[in-house]
Amino acid sequence: MRLETRHWIFAGLFLLIGLTLASGIRLDLPVSPDTQRMHDFIEGLPNGSVLLVSFDHEASSLPEIQPIARALLRHGFEHKLRLVGLALMAEGTAIGYRLMCETAEEFDAEYGTDYVFLGFRPQYIAAILSMGESIKATFPEDYLGRPYDSLALMRPLGDYSDVAGVLSIADGSFTTHWVEYGGRYELKVLAGVTAAMVTTYDPYLASGQMQAMVSGLRGAAEYETLINRGGEGARGMLAQTSAHLYVILLLILGNVAYFLERRRTN
Amino acid sequence: MDIGTAVAGLLTLAILTFLYRDNPIYKMAESLLIGVSIGYVLVITWSSTLMSLLFTPLFSDGRVWLIVPLLFGLMMFGRFHKWTSFLSRFPIGVMIGSGAGIAIPVMLEQRTLKQMTATVMPLVTESGWPDLSALVVLLGVLTTLCYFYFSREHKGTFGVAARIGTWFLMIFFGTTFGYTVMSRMSTFIGRMEFLLTDFFQLTG
Repeated sequence: MRLETRHWIFAGLFLLIGLTLASGIRLDLPVSPDTQRMHDFIEGLPNGSVLLVSFDHEASSLPEIQPIARALLRHGFEHKLRLVGLALMAEGTAIGYRLMCETAEEFDAEYGTDYVFLGFRPQYIAAILSMGESIKATFPEDYLGRPYDSLALMRPLGDYSDVAGVLSIADGSFTTHWVEYGGRYELKVLAGVTAAMVTTYDPYLASGQMQAMVSGLRGAAEYETLINRGGEGARGMLAQTSAHLYVILLLILGNVAYFLERRRTN
Repeated sequence: MDIGTAVAGLLTLAILTFLYRDNPIYKMAESLLIGVSIGYVLVITWSSTLMSLLFTPLFSDGRVWLIVPLLFGLMMFGRFHKWTSFLSRFPIGVMIGSGAGIAIPVMLEQRTLKQMTATVMPLVTESGWPDLSALVVLLGVLTTLCYFYFSREHKGTFGVAARIGTWFLMIFFGTTFGYTVMSRMSTFIGRMEFLLTDFFQLTG
């Protein structure tokens, strides 16, 4: 078994993250304006408003997506919003359903009245446009196979004009499609996205085409602070900060080693 | 510990073995992930799309017009043989035609016009001071456009503008890369938390 430099670097990262997670120390985070804007938007909705929650992500991004989704769903249920879940990516279907059911249980929310999960539709553009014409025609039945009209929450919903907006939980560019195609119907778009997607969505946020955005583990931790509920986001922030400092340290060391080596060769 | 947690924990460890080097345990876990993902997508597509939107309405509810999308779908399979491959051109033509028809006006409006509108902001604030943010946006847009203008050589004043544009691009790439590192680190932290808390039950 031959160990190379990269193996020691990985071992260091394992040790650092393991120790910081085990320490249980929570960082006191200032809330960014973007996260605050999301909180204010949801707070500003009247009780009983219907919010679509679209799980547009793959299973691989779950560790980052789950804290964001859970914090936003908790706020939604706490604020007595009625949540309608769906998925534009097949892998998001079971994850979305599980997350909604688990969070609903914390607030004694009832399926069919307080929340519904509609399931997956392929061809995301067609699905978004079709829902703008008729949600019922797009989802004649829910994820569990119950007819649309048998669900009290769904019965009065015709199209986007009956919902307060859509919250897209995404790890890719799906939120863009909600902005672009949902924008035709004046649909308000909120986003809970992985940190890697921030630069993609920032222009839409700045232009007002997107209402609010919570991004990455840090966004989740900030949101947990705003709703006074600890969660996976807050637990991971010390580890995240330490890992970043570790990467910066490695970058500095790498550069110092490079320049020393160059000077030696010259 | 339930069976799901045990399987998830073992598979996470199997994937992490790649950090040492490529090995059969990692390959097994990777193949399992791909197989399960494709199987899941097939099942979910069958049950929530083909059955609920096509077969049930067509054969049980008698909505005969749904025969059209069914035929178009079947024609796509014509690609598998050279004698029938021409059949797939019809549904592909419909898809491309309708897709472009829907996408072009949307892209123009949402990606170009609305973004341009957001770029054109007053350069002076209400109190009479220059709006630094608006000036940076304007400078960034103009110089980056200069960089991507290839019909004129990047020399003189134009060259300086193009060079400033590359700096804006570098800042964008750096920011994106930084966020991506942050994202991947979050994923790793999430899995580590799962391993330590649920699988090894070392932390509370």
